[in-house]
Amino acid sequence: MINYLIQDPPKNDTPWADVPAPEIDYWGQLPVQAGNFDHVDGLFYFTYAVCIVFFVIITGVLLYSVVAHRRKTWDQKPLSNVTHNTPLEVVWTVIPLIIVMIMFAWGFKGSLDMLTVPHAAQQNTYKATAKQWFWTFTYPNSTQSISEVYVEIDKPVQFILESTDVLHAFYAPSMRVKRDIVPGRYSSVWFTPTKKGTFHLFCAEYCGNNHSRMYAKLHVVDSATMEEEPWNVVPAADDPLEDRIAYGAQLAGQVCASCHKISATTMMDTGPSWLNLFTKDGDNYVGRKREVIEDGVTKTITVDDAYIIESIKNPTQKIVAEEPYRGRNMSKFDNLDDARIACLIAYMKSLADN
Amino acid sequence: MTTNTPAVDVQTPPTAPPRENYLNCSKGFKSWALTLDHKRIGLMYLIGVSIAFLSGGMFALLVRLHLWEPEGMLFTNIEYNQIFTLHGAFMVFLFVIPAIPGSLGNIVMPLMVGAKDVALPKLNLLSFYLWLIGAVLAVLAIVLGGFDTGWTFYAPYSLYTDRAVVTIGMAIFILGFSSIFTGLNFIVTVHKLRAPGITWFRMPLFVWAIYATAILQVLATPVLGITVLLVAFERLYNIGIFDPRLGGDPVLFEHFFWFYSHPAVYIMVLPAFGIISELVSVHSRKPLFGYKLIAFSSIAIAIISFLVWGHHMFTSGQSTYALFAFSFLTFFVAIPTAIKEFSWVATVWKGSVALNSPMLYTLAFLIIFAIGGLTGVILGALNVDLHLHDTYFVVAHFHYVMMGSIALAFFAGLHHWWPKMFGVMYNEFQAKIACALIFVGFNATFLPQFVMGSRGMPRRYATYVPEYAPYHQASTIGAMILGTGVAMMVIYLIASLLIRKKAKENQWGGVTLDWIAPTPPPHLNFDHEPKVVHEVYDYSTLDYDSMQRDCN
Repeated sequence: MINYLIQDPPKNDTPWADVPAPEIDYWGQLPVQAGNFDHVDGLFYFTYAVCIVFFVIITGVLLYSVVAHRRKTWDQKPLSNVTHNTPLEVVWTVIPLIIVMIMFAWGFKGSLDMLTVPHAAQQNTYKATAKQWFWTFTYPNSTQSISEVYVEIDKPVQFILESTDVLHAFYAPSMRVKRDIVPGRYSSVWFTPTKKGTFHLFCAEYCGNNHSRMYAKLHVVDSATMEEEPWNVVPAADDPLEDRIAYGAQLAGQVCASCHKISATTMMDTGPSWLNLFTKDGDNYVGRKREVIEDGVTKTITVDDAYIIESIKNPTQKIVAEEPYRGRNMSKFDNLDDARIACLIAYMKSLADN
Repeated sequence: MTTNTPAVDVQTPPTAPPRENYLNCSKGFKSWALTLDHKRIGLMYLIGVSIAFLSGGMFALLVRLHLWEPEGMLFTNIEYNQIFTLHGAFMVFLFVIPAIPGSLGNIVMPLMVGAKDVALPKLNLLSFYLWLIGAVLAVLAIVLGGFDTGWTFYAPYSLYTDRAVVTIGMAIFILGFSSIFTGLNFIVTVHKLRAPGITWFRMPLFVWAIYATAILQVLATPVLGITVLLVAFERLYNIGIFDPRLGGDPVLFEHFFWFYSHPAVYIMVLPAFGIISELVSVHSRKPLFGYKLIAFSSIAIAIISFLVWGHHMFTSGQSTYALFAFSFLTFFVAIPTAIKEFSWVATVWKGSVALNSPMLYTLAFLIIFAIGGLTGVILGALNVDLHLHDTYFVVAHFHYVMMGSIALAFFAGLHHWWPKMFGVMYNEFQAKIACALIFVGFNATFLPQFVMGSRGMPRRYATYVPEYAPYHQASTIGAMILGTGVAMMVIYLIASLLIRKKAKENQWGGVTLDWIAPTPPPHLNFDHEPKVVHEVYDYSTLDYDSMQRDCN
């Protein structure tokens, strides 16, 4: 009955809070194209128009006959008993056949374009790691960002997609790309961003509790901005403590809050709460005692930096044995680098002040 | 037309005891629980699937209410995931798949071929009880912690979640057998029990549709059975078929699942086509346009439907060759479907079109199915699907087919054969109002979903980006109207059983054997073995004199 114990992340803190709604195109159906796959829009509206024409013909004939040939007396006979009209039947078979074959060829050609990664995009390869329920992006120069990604305008980009747990899907509506991410294999998408701005990046394949929160911001910027590496915001060990705590809090909100209670205001409490991990003794932080199971043996340990780092990178080594968290396994977060983990620890310790 | 009752009987005063029929020929719980009469079994199915539909509908209304606000109004994300899964699973497995074959197919098909019963009556009863066990297990699964996998049970999430996936898997396994046995039964019935004179091409199209469905049920359902069994084994014994951690392949699950579930779409929709074929003809009093073409297109759809499952997986990373083949065949299946729609419209053309409630439901079907079918063509295009896949556009498309077309055809058939089944008529005026509410409510619910879908709203989201809020709210208002219409329908149909306004012998002027049989039919359907000498849908045989006597 776990499902009745755990709750949602706080509702006021949406990951898309500062992302503007994308503009909608002239016909009102698609977000304005911000990538290079124009043929999607072309075929979409062509098919749409064909559908409207057929719909008008079908319902027009139907409603006309219903009105014009409606039964006025109970024994009224039909005006015609025709059951065949070979030319008509040939026409309404052949014309749709031709039309759908055009759509098929157009669509297939377009999909080849989308599925064949050009050389230029291969030269600019990112990695997107999907994990319940956040995205980690690795840039060509091996730096990382979480829940947001920067790409350069007019430069083809390829994302190698991988999942560490269940199915996810990479979906950027403004770029018209979508690709499932299957655990255990790599897949990829590519596109060329053609419009500056911040766009939605959704997970489109249902992946569990916080599927709808698995969101990232896709920033399209110019090359000058790219060189500044605006995503490189992780404070180093010698940066002011406040900055590291602030970054740790932000990261915890993006990554950890979907299971852990990371502050007095967050609700989820699947994994151990962070609220009383440390107490403050003068200038020192003293970790609490905790019962864990290691190699099948229950023992008591003291929470410290090493324990937290191990719990993030290899969580099944020491499993918390306290109720109500007993028996709930965390998955590995080995895609978090040491600098980020240090900020998380700084944030955890800052909670002792309260 | 030839009723088997002499004219004098029609003028018997209403105080006379009703003639013996299948409803009153025996009484008591046992006479129903152990009945072998296809009509009684059909009625039990009707009650069962209606309850499943109404529960699934309640879940749908909860989903829509929740989505009124971007951050959700009613539930936590986790509860929402369970509610939408319950909606999908109840609707698909307990309602849409068994609804028409189990209830109307059971009741009407043997009448139409002039048989006393289905070929294997005990198997028929077993099918019903398997359905019931499946339904009980599904409810049990809710009690045991629910399930949050979506109705598609995609691995590996369905392997990792700590919910009652095994229980619901067993429910689906058992429901599959119910479906297979029904299909088997109907195939044998159509082959062996046709009355003298009913050649293959004198079979009403509903029978053709039920026959094509039965073939699909027998051939496709075992694959689903194996798949859910493998998921259960995987969860219990970690054998590593689908679990990537054990070397399994999640995409294999998708292939298995859709190899059944795409034909299942036609298991659901072909009987609906059959109902519409009947109703369009009877209520236009005109033989069906292109009878043979419609019959063969049912079979063609049944065959091609086995070859298009991959269009559910265009984004999953199939090879380009697979994409080519699946997209091509998907467009190809549009053709027989389009032929059916055109033929129905051509049947109404220059007919004698009665605007009674079954026909209004039929017209609503024809309009909604046109939208459902045409938007399917949009999704068939590969590059467009890469954008629209797993968005609300898909949600809207398949609701136009599954709810708007299949459920509406079911309602149409229910209104059409209600007087035949019970010998009573419902309030026509209320029926027309309810039909209008359902039509308006349905379109108000799902048209906005096309728009937000193509604008990028992914499906199965408990919370969403605020710019979609107006469309979600329009959709929620539509759902409330739709719910009101359905509630009204349930009330007047039940009320008709209490008010007992007597129906005519041949309420709509049908000429197929189901209307030649007495109303309601006796236990063995016909007083004498029927002989058919006319072509099917030959309305020149309609006996206007006896219909007029019936009116008085």
